[in-house]
Amino acid sequence: MSMLDTLLLISLLTVLLTGLGQRVTFIGWIATLLLTAQLLTLLLMGKLGYGGEIIDASFGFSILGQPLNWRYDALSWFFALITIGSALAGSAFAAGAWGDQYRKEGGNPGLLQFSIALNVLAMLLLLGSGDLLSLFIGWELVSWASLLLMVIAGGRASEFGMRYIVYATAGAMAVLAGLAIIFQLTGSFAYDDLAAVAPALNTLQIVTLTLLFFFGFGIKMGLLPFHLWQADAYAETPGPGTAFLGAISSRMGLYAILVVIIQLIGLVRLIEIEIPYSFLSLRDLLMWVAAISIIIPTFIALRQSDARRLLAWHGIGQGGYMLIGLLVLDPYGSAGGLMHVFNHATYQAALFLSVSAVIYRTRTSDLNRLGGLVTRMPLSFLVMLIGIIGLAGIPPMNGFVSKWLVYRSLIIEGMPLLFVASVIGTLGTILSVYKLIHNTFLGQLRLEHEHIREVPLSMTIPMLVLSAIVFITGFMPGLVLDWVGSAQVALGMPQLAHTLGGVESTQGSLDMIWVCSVLFGGFAVGALLFYSGNKAKRVHQLDNYAGGHFLTADVRYHYSDNFYAGLMHHIGSWYRGSFLWLESSLISVVSSLSGGAQLLYNSFHPALYLLMAITLSLYFFIG
Amino acid sequence: MKSTDLDRIEVNPKTMPKRTNPLANVFDDLVRFCRSRSMFMLHYCTGCGAIELPPAMTSRFDMERLGIQPMVTPRQADILLITGYVSIKTLKRVILTYEQMGSPKYVIGICSCTVNGGMYWQSYATAKKLDEYMPVDLYIAGCMPRPEAVIEGLQQLMDKIKNDQANSWKQYYENYDYYLGNQQKLFGNNWQTPTDVIGEAEIYRLMGPQTLGEHTKILQQVQKPMEPLEMKL
Repeated sequence: MSMLDTLLLISLLTVLLTGLGQRVTFIGWIATLLLTAQLLTLLLMGKLGYGGEIIDASFGFSILGQPLNWRYDALSWFFALITIGSALAGSAFAAGAWGDQYRKEGGNPGLLQFSIALNVLAMLLLLGSGDLLSLFIGWELVSWASLLLMVIAGGRASEFGMRYIVYATAGAMAVLAGLAIIFQLTGSFAYDDLAAVAPALNTLQIVTLTLLFFFGFGIKMGLLPFHLWQADAYAETPGPGTAFLGAISSRMGLYAILVVIIQLIGLVRLIEIEIPYSFLSLRDLLMWVAAISIIIPTFIALRQSDARRLLAWHGIGQGGYMLIGLLVLDPYGSAGGLMHVFNHATYQAALFLSVSAVIYRTRTSDLNRLGGLVTRMPLSFLVMLIGIIGLAGIPPMNGFVSKWLVYRSLIIEGMPLLFVASVIGTLGTILSVYKLIHNTFLGQLRLEHEHIREVPLSMTIPMLVLSAIVFITGFMPGLVLDWVGSAQVALGMPQLAHTLGGVESTQGSLDMIWVCSVLFGGFAVGALLFYSGNKAKRVHQLDNYAGGHFLTADVRYHYSDNFYAGLMHHIGSWYRGSFLWLESSLISVVSSLSGGAQLLYNSFHPALYLLMAITLSLYFFIG
Repeated sequence: MKSTDLDRIEVNPKTMPKRTNPLANVFDDLVRFCRSRSMFMLHYCTGCGAIELPPAMTSRFDMERLGIQPMVTPRQADILLITGYVSIKTLKRVILTYEQMGSPKYVIGICSCTVNGGMYWQSYATAKKLDEYMPVDLYIAGCMPRPEAVIEGLQQLMDKIKNDQANSWKQYYENYDYYLGNQQKLFGNNWQTPTDVIGEAEIYRLMGPQTLGEHTKILQQVQKPMEPLEMKL
């Protein structure tokens, strides 16, 4: 029995135990314990992250003569680490006081733990897939498992879940069609066969396969124009569920794109294919899709007034950075893209947990109804501060390193327009994360929040651990770049030469240890000036300057409502909802087509169609 | 109000006694020099004198070459510039703003109105002498003073800071009872600002014999203290 078997067995055990123990009050701690066991097992497989041998599962099936097998390489291990890590953070957060309150409000924390565990199992299976058929099975498992997590909250969440599953099914059909074409071409579902055949495929076949898979897998990533489902579906999940979904769920699409399009079909082929009447190659087209997936969702996030939706929209935008980096196909870009998966998971989970902590105390995530919580929840503030620095890609947090790598690769490879596009995305990110922290934690504390306290330890510890990771991997990015380098090798890409502090190369160097030292040296000088001066005196928040007015508690001097009104005056008209229009027109086309088909079937000769169907299926099975 | 009221104020000795350590002297001089060359100015523009400030601030006369530039909040400001007549309603705001400034702070009264009420001498709603309510470092008289005069006055203030003579902010703490009394006469006994001046005087070690008195007793009876928000874990 290999380590991979053990890992999957523990994962299965987690699913079974959490599934059976729905009524047990301490089910959350059991789930946390088992997820810790999974993490430890994964860490025992840690050689994978440093260029170790591929680990095969000892079990396997055969369906219609097609073998299915599972194995873990460096890439799978890297993604699995992020999956289990974020699940563990969410599960631990939900296990204690959060779960008790959730139960009091009529929720079922056991079900939440069960669905997180189920998602982890499905993702581990997907990540371990050793051929296209097991990839597809894993893909479907992940799709349906995440539906469960999305609809737990009920109510509107069910609608958003239904919307998701429609998109996901369409994507799955596209993937299935792609698999059918591959099977016709190669006669098998093995990775090696496809990789062997790929160089001989003609342009039409490559384009068809690429578009089918990119559509199918891209839906999960929320790439434009199929981004509408994601933010709503993620944001409605109960607290820690959003952290898990936001951190890793849509990265499964990236994993599948990596395996099928970049590794098997091969990016080099895509670069060769020119799109007629344009200056773009097929690869450039995909990169522009990624770039627009950065800009538009980020600026939609800027407009949100719900903290969870704001973060969920950023999840889509940051996915664009990962894809754009990986499509550049040089050591910098692919390392940046892969590293951003890890970095995004860490700070996004921390941010969602911090928002959940605020919701836990204030019962709202409406950015217009919060403010000034920093004096009441300083630890949550710290976590959110570290998280948004990471999300905005500012030193010394880890998000800076991966974004720097992506930018650097775009400059080196001579793609200035794409570079500008990603920088515009970052601008929107910085603006919107400022809105998030300002409206939640800064400014005037509301009367109704005077008496709230920091959340209990069971919730602060997962948040603080995550933010510690965000900082440490930003301070010493070499820790993650080791794993990323192994994953690059597993993908057959050139490896990025790196040091503990970052990158050392003639094409561009980055030493985060040095950057952080300078930064904190500056802080130290400031602190020295501050603490060597006179004693500071704290004043009441109403002892504040408002043009000479005497402030009272009923006067709102901190305007969080209609934030960025000036900016929205200029760009507000750009939010036209064209994609909503596109979606609704697609819906009406599909529904009228299906209505027509139903009409045809119901009113004309239903018996005849039934007979035809039976004859054909008999022919298929017997003949 | 009797004209002898001002005599009650205990004025600081013009200069602090020099410290014996020569290094400390050099350091003090350096600090005062830096302080005089970098001043943020909160212009509380109450009257027509305000119109002389834009030319003084902008390229024609350019007060920024002296290191003086406008600031939007009292917490970071060094100079409070009051440009013109101070109505009773405005005076409350001026006092609130003055008390919110961090020490050392300097008050400049511009125009005749701040000196003696000027053309509003007969008005029932105007406070005539600004220095009955807060210590004023410098008056720039005129109706209105030209930008040259404003800049001349600011240069005088800089010299006073350099020579350690601009210490009137200490008088506010040392004679708080007197200033508070005048304020109470005008605004009534319920008058209070959010700032805890007596507490600040303790922090600055400027409690003098005139800091507390009958007026501060009245204040302490009506005052609703505003406790700062503590960080709570």
